[in-house]
Amino acid sequence: MKTDKLIVLATLLLAALYWFATEQIREPLIGDPIGPKAIPRLLTIGLLIAAGLLWLETLAGRKTRAPGTPADNPSPARQPFFILAMVGSTLGYFFLFSWLGYALATALYLYALMAIFNPGKTRANVLTAAGFSLGSYLAFTRLFGAQIPAGLLPF
Amino acid sequence: METFNHIINGFGVALMPINLWYTFVGVLIGTIVGILPGIGPSASIALLIPITYGMDPASGLIMMAGVYYGTKYGGSTTAILIRTPGEAASVMTSIDGYEMARNGRAGAALAISAIGSFIAGTLGVVALTLFAVPLSSTALKFGPAEYFTLMLFALTAVASLSGKSPAKGLLSTILGLMIATIGIDLQSGQQRFTAGVAEFQDGIGFIVVVVGMFALAEVFRGLEKIHSGTSDPAMRITGKLWITREEWRRSKGPIWRGSIMGFLIGILPGAGGTIASLLSYSTEKRLSKNPEEFGKGAIEGVAGPEAANNSDTAGAMVPLLTLGVPGGGATAVMMGAFIMHGIQPGPLLFQNRPDLVWGLIDSMYIGNVMLLILNLPLIGLFVRLLYIPSGILYPLIIAISVLGTFAINGSMVELYLVLFFGVLGYIFDKVEIPIPPLVLSLVLAGIMEQSFRQALTLSDGNPVVFVSSGISATLVFMAAVSLALPFLIPRLKQVTPEQD
Repeated sequence: MKTDKLIVLATLLLAALYWFATEQIREPLIGDPIGPKAIPRLLTIGLLIAAGLLWLETLAGRKTRAPGTPADNPSPARQPFFILAMVGSTLGYFFLFSWLGYALATALYLYALMAIFNPGKTRANVLTAAGFSLGSYLAFTRLFGAQIPAGLLPF
Repeated sequence: METFNHIINGFGVALMPINLWYTFVGVLIGTIVGILPGIGPSASIALLIPITYGMDPASGLIMMAGVYYGTKYGGSTTAILIRTPGEAASVMTSIDGYEMARNGRAGAALAISAIGSFIAGTLGVVALTLFAVPLSSTALKFGPAEYFTLMLFALTAVASLSGKSPAKGLLSTILGLMIATIGIDLQSGQQRFTAGVAEFQDGIGFIVVVVGMFALAEVFRGLEKIHSGTSDPAMRITGKLWITREEWRRSKGPIWRGSIMGFLIGILPGAGGTIASLLSYSTEKRLSKNPEEFGKGAIEGVAGPEAANNSDTAGAMVPLLTLGVPGGGATAVMMGAFIMHGIQPGPLLFQNRPDLVWGLIDSMYIGNVMLLILNLPLIGLFVRLLYIPSGILYPLIIAISVLGTFAINGSMVELYLVLFFGVLGYIFDKVEIPIPPLVLSLVLAGIMEQSFRQALTLSDGNPVVFVSSGISATLVFMAAVSLALPFLIPRLKQVTPEQD
């Protein structure tokens, strides 16, 4: 229930920001009777309605729940450090992506993740990380003609 | 007669060696994806879109459709062997399927699941073949107002039926529509919400959102599961991979009923395979002479739901192909794939590209035969996939997501966006906001806004245009009802508690 209240607050905040940004859109002088602001304005109203309905659901949930019973919503922050670590490592991967190139950066990133989530299988992890990175790089550049950063690789 | 000729020509397209190959690749990937817990059809189709870019559109779409209905076959394998559905629609199969496996009848459960899926899948495609032309002819009479109200109904139905909370479904729908407003407004040429970022002028790419919210978010959840140490051991296949005469006798009825139910539910927006299989399960339990066997390994509890969730895929293709309106997450991604290949699904597709649309439909007959072969004699081979460590599999999916997204435009900004939407999808899951309404509204937003503005321009800004014809008035009424019902039903139950 606490989570739902936070969603209501976040929705109201988003509606305010979206409304503000909508008003910054320039209206064309001629040609379009409805204008580019019409749909965003309707969506702001839609956001407010969704926030209102969610608030009503929260109230209804509180009424029907017996005193002392916990809310059935899962805690959104059960493992906050896990997702932060994933985001941090993936951002690091993106940074290496343009510097080292796709194949090397991906091999390093994959090995790091596999070492954590598939521990004790060093040989399999190294072979999979290196094999997949090089194989997918060659497949996309040679077969599909995609432009993928080579980075430090000579090919 | 003309339609019959198109169907025959469609087989000509579907039976071309290259298309047979892509049908096979599609159903093979679908089976694999269905077996692997976590990655569903939406994520898989999204990941395949970049790879199909250079292909002939018919081949690419045939392959992606193969993935879509192929996942339904594979999804039952994990449901039966590890009580973890490979995709949501197999939840009901896991109840009695897993119990059958525990009773030493895993082979029979897998066999009836494959046979039921084949019969239902094929019947579903037959119904799709019959329904497609009459529906698309009706849809040709739709003007902008009718189209707008049709999409409004599709969005409200999906918002109401996805997840536990209709308010959160509505919120997800509106967020999808908001994301779609980013970029240059095509009618006025004005920039909207681009924040000065050049990459945002063309809007937020559909692939970026779908890969992030389906694939990356699922990987985050999967890795978190490994991190917290909650994995399930897989059971070995025991018993003959065939059914007895008695088991077939008990399964026939549920398969037929499930096929019809699944197809009809598949046509409705928002309902989908999960509801179809749930309804089939409860129907079979009610009709059974031994309802107490359900939950303890009743074969009817596997045959019916599996048939329902397979014919649902053919049903879901009806509104997508004939009206250009997808009814759920996976068909929304399919529609995105159509659009990215420069094809607009809808009634005109049957007139302008009969080769493509009938080639696609006819490939589904062939794909179902291929799936039966893959899922009966070869199932022992696929089950080995369950023993691939998730700690290897999930990181590979991240790399595929990154590579697939980058290969389209070579944009680093899009990679950061994929990560953003991956985290957003992860948070949505934690706070129980359903993702399919967001994806569906993102796909429909462009054409919806266009229809809205066209209708108002034609009526000199008079909003009565949205209720002026019988079709649009009915659709507006249905949209209002679908939105209101989830809020009204609990209140009605409170008022009449004695009837519960």
